[in-house]
Amino acid sequence: MTARDRLVIVAISALAVLAAVWMLLVSPERKKADKLNTEVSAASAQLATAESQASEAQAARSRYSTAYASVVNLGKAVPPSEEVPSLIYQLAQASNEKHVQFTSISTSTSGTPAPAAAASTSTSATGAAATTVSFTQMPFTFVFEGGFDDLYHLFRQLNGATVRTASGQLQVSGRLLTLQGVKLEPATADEAKGGSQQLTGTITATAYVLPASQGLTGGATATSPTPASASGSPAATSASSGSSSGSGSTATPSATIGPVR
Amino acid sequence: MKAVNLIPSEQRRGAAVGVGRSGGAAYILLGALGVLAVLVLLYGMARHQVSDRKAKLASVQAQAQRVQQAATSLSAYTSFQSLRQQRTQAVEQVVDSRFDWAHELHELGRVLPHDASITTLDGSIGAAGAAGAASTPTSGGTGSSTPPGSVPTITLGGCASSQTDVALTLQRLRLIDGVASVSLQSSTKAAGKSSTGATGANCVAGAPSFTALITFDPLPAPSGKSGSGTELTASTGGTK
Repeated sequence: MTARDRLVIVAISALAVLAAVWMLLVSPERKKADKLNTEVSAASAQLATAESQASEAQAARSRYSTAYASVVNLGKAVPPSEEVPSLIYQLAQASNEKHVQFTSISTSTSGTPAPAAAASTSTSATGAAATTVSFTQMPFTFVFEGGFDDLYHLFRQLNGATVRTASGQLQVSGRLLTLQGVKLEPATADEAKGGSQQLTGTITATAYVLPASQGLTGGATATSPTPASASGSPAATSASSGSSSGSGSTATPSATIGPVR
Repeated sequence: MKAVNLIPSEQRRGAAVGVGRSGGAAYILLGALGVLAVLVLLYGMARHQVSDRKAKLASVQAQAQRVQQAATSLSAYTSFQSLRQQRTQAVEQVVDSRFDWAHELHELGRVLPHDASITTLDGSIGAAGAAGAASTPTSGGTGSSTPPGSVPTITLGGCASSQTDVALTLQRLRLIDGVASVSLQSSTKAAGKSSTGATGANCVAGAPSFTALITFDPLPAPSGKSGSGTELTASTGGTK
């Protein structure tokens, strides 16, 4: 064996040892480190998401009293039950203010309260991920008597019970009504001949009610979003929400209908 | 006599300098050792990195779990917030989809000529594409009784002092905000003492009674501006 052969053998052996060290020790460890790096990145992203959720939840908690007041206030526009007495009271009050005679109110001949097309799912505040809220319609026919101007002001007031302000905010001071039809005619045929200003205004309108599956606040109370008793069914919370919300807010549908009784 | 080379073999000309007796293998081994040392260093660094990452991973996972638990414990608040948003949006959609009858009555009073008067007014909101129909429109996404696309119409019955004034009235009615079309249904001038139009309007002698149909633009789809993030404002007073 010449010196050159020995040299080649030594070189090849050294290279083999180095390659083995790289492949068996260094490379797997580096791959492991890379994999861990990826896992750490994923965990960091998960942490960021959790932190975002937590901060959102914290913010929701800090705004809870405002949100609760808003939901209760919305109950004046769309109550959880029919609340016909409060509607009559609102109409009577509006007609008095506008010097219009509130002659009659009747449920529309078009039928019973019609459930809306879109379904709603969430019944509890803790239920999360509620889909579109849809209201149950309550058709009514109101008849008023008064002058053109007074009836015009009355219509404005009925619309104005729930209205959006110029800044886009929702302003709720009474029941949400959609006027579908307006009919004005002389109060009597004789008055029409005589040119009297008295008109009979017949309004076809729709009031709205929250779906039966939803309570006013979904079981939440003024202090906590979770129902006081865990066993409370959505129906039970729905029935009790009106009164429970009454304790948490100064303006509620039940408070509104008080004077009627 | 055989010549003998007395120069040491390492120093003879032509021989590799520094190769030595090993023929260069020592250098190869030294180089290999150097590379091996580098590999060992890399291995050590990788090991350190692995243990470091493992510790960090455990720490981040534990922290994420803690934060997640905290978020879960407050999820009821988040859900209530979303309930409020959805309900606000639903009310806003209904509010936005309403037809402003009061505004149109105001407009009617504004544009009506002096020599014309209204005796009857019958307004209704018909289904989309059915101008003049008084059928109840189908419900919208939030159950509005006047969904987008519904067409409001008003049938007017009235008196004018002459047929020219009826024409003027029709022209003026087109100036009402949101009117799509105004069409005359009848204009009758009675030969007798007073005229009675299709709507039963009793006009003074010689004055034609007319009936006109005002068709408004279809109700628009709710605008994108949602006040769901805005605060509700409570008001106890009415508007006049």
